[in-house]
Amino acid sequence: MTGVDGVPACADDGSCITCSDQGLVLRIVGLAADGLALCVDETGRFEEVQVDLIDSPGAGDVILVHARVALVRLARAEVRA
Amino acid sequence: MKFVDEYRDAELGRAVAAQILATVEPGRHYKVMEVCGGHTHTIYKYGVDDLLPANVELVHGPGCPVCVIPMGRVDDAIAVARNPEVIFTCFGDMLRVPGSAGTLLDAKAEGADVRMVYSPLDALRIARQHPDRDVVFFAIGFETTAPSTALTLMRAKAEGVPNFFCFCNHVTIVPPLRALLESPDLRLDGFIGPGHVSTVVGARPFEFIPRDYGKPVVISGFEPLDVLQSVQMVLTQLAQGRCEVENQYTRVVPYDGNVRALEALAEVFELRPHFEWRGLGFISQSGLRLSEAYRDFDAEVRYPVPGIRVADPKACQCGEVLKGVIKPWECKVFGTACTPERPIGTCMVSSEGACAAYYNYGRLARERQVV
Repeated sequence: MTGVDGVPACADDGSCITCSDQGLVLRIVGLAADGLALCVDETGRFEEVQVDLIDSPGAGDVILVHARVALVRLARAEVRA
Repeated sequence: MKFVDEYRDAELGRAVAAQILATVEPGRHYKVMEVCGGHTHTIYKYGVDDLLPANVELVHGPGCPVCVIPMGRVDDAIAVARNPEVIFTCFGDMLRVPGSAGTLLDAKAEGADVRMVYSPLDALRIARQHPDRDVVFFAIGFETTAPSTALTLMRAKAEGVPNFFCFCNHVTIVPPLRALLESPDLRLDGFIGPGHVSTVVGARPFEFIPRDYGKPVVISGFEPLDVLQSVQMVLTQLAQGRCEVENQYTRVVPYDGNVRALEALAEVFELRPHFEWRGLGFISQSGLRLSEAYRDFDAEVRYPVPGIRVADPKACQCGEVLKGVIKPWECKVFGTACTPERPIGTCMVSSEGACAAYYNYGRLARERQVV
C-alpha cells in the first residue's frame, strides 16, 4: 500500500506496518533451521519471522509478531504433525 | 478472524459502556491516559470515546515511537545517510519525519541511498547482498521493537556480517511515564498501560505507578472492547478506592513478560545516561545504545553525527500533545499547515500519533459530542 511520496502507508485495518510497532497475528506454516519460520496472515500473505523468543514453536501455532519477531504464542496448533 | 472479531462486538461494547456510566461519580472529572499510540488509534478509529460519559476524558500519552524522536536525531540520521558508502535503511514513517533541514526522503531525492524496510532483518539481508557497502539500520521503538533489533544484531554477530550497523534510538517506556507523573501541569487519575510493550517487559515494571503515585494501571489490548473494558477497570479501581496494576490483556501478556526477550535486550543494549524525547526533553536512562560487546555494529561509533539539539518549530505543539496537555485540534497548525501529507510535527506523521488519529478520523476542530 502506497501513500504520499511513494512511502508505504498504514493499512486500511489501522495497522502501522510502516513503523512496525504493530502486533500482527500470524500462523506458523513451517520452520527453518536458523530460528526463522515461514508464517501466513489471514489474507494469505507470507512473511519470514524470527521465532527464537518463544518455546518450541511449531507449524500451526498462532503467534503475535512485532517487526518480524514473535513475542508471544497466542495458541498452539490444534493438531501438530 | 479469531483473536480479533470477538473484541469488536458492538452489543458487548454498549454493555460495557453502560457499566462505565454506572461506575462514574457524577460531577467528578476523570482523566485517563492511554500510554500507547496504538490505543489512541483504536479509540478514534472505532469511536470508543463516543461511548464514554462526558466526564471521562482520555488523554493521549507518549507511546508512539515515531512521535517521540526529536529533530536533532533525524538530523543525525540524515548525516549518516549522506555518506556515499552507506545504504541507510529505516521504517517508512521515519522517512517523512522532518529534521531541521528536511527529511530522509529529501536526502534520498538529493542522492542519498535511503531504503524503506519492514524489519531489521530486511536490513541485514541488504547488508549480505552488498558486502562492499555499509548498511545502517535506523532503529526506533519501545521494548516491542527492540527485541527485533537485538536478535538481528545477534544474528549479524554470529554470521560475522561486518558491514551491518545500527543507529540506535530505542527507548524504554517507564522513564517517560515517571516524568509525566512528576509533571506539575498534568493531573491524571489512571493509566491504560501498553499491551505489547508488556508482552516483553511484563506488568511488573508498572507497579511503581500505584505504589509511588497512587494511580491505577490497567494493561490493555488493542481491540475496541479491550480499550473500553480497560477504561472500565480503571474507573472501577477508582470507585472502590483501589490502586494496583491489573492485566486486561491476559490472553497475550504474561505478568513477568518474555524472559528470553529481556535477556536478548540485556546482551545487546545498555542504557544511555540520558536521551532526548520530543516534548519531554532529556530523560535519564530512558534510551538504549549498543553494549560494549556490540560496539562494532554501532553506527554512531562508525560515523560522526552532529549531535546537535534542535528546537521544534515554534508553531508545532507536539510536545504539549505528547504530554496530554492540549488536544491536537488546539494546536495552531493542526489540519492547516500540518497535515499527514505535509506534516510539521511527528504526531502527524505516524498513524499512531494523536494528531494523525484526530485528523484521519474527523476530530478536526472541536471536542467530541457525547451522546
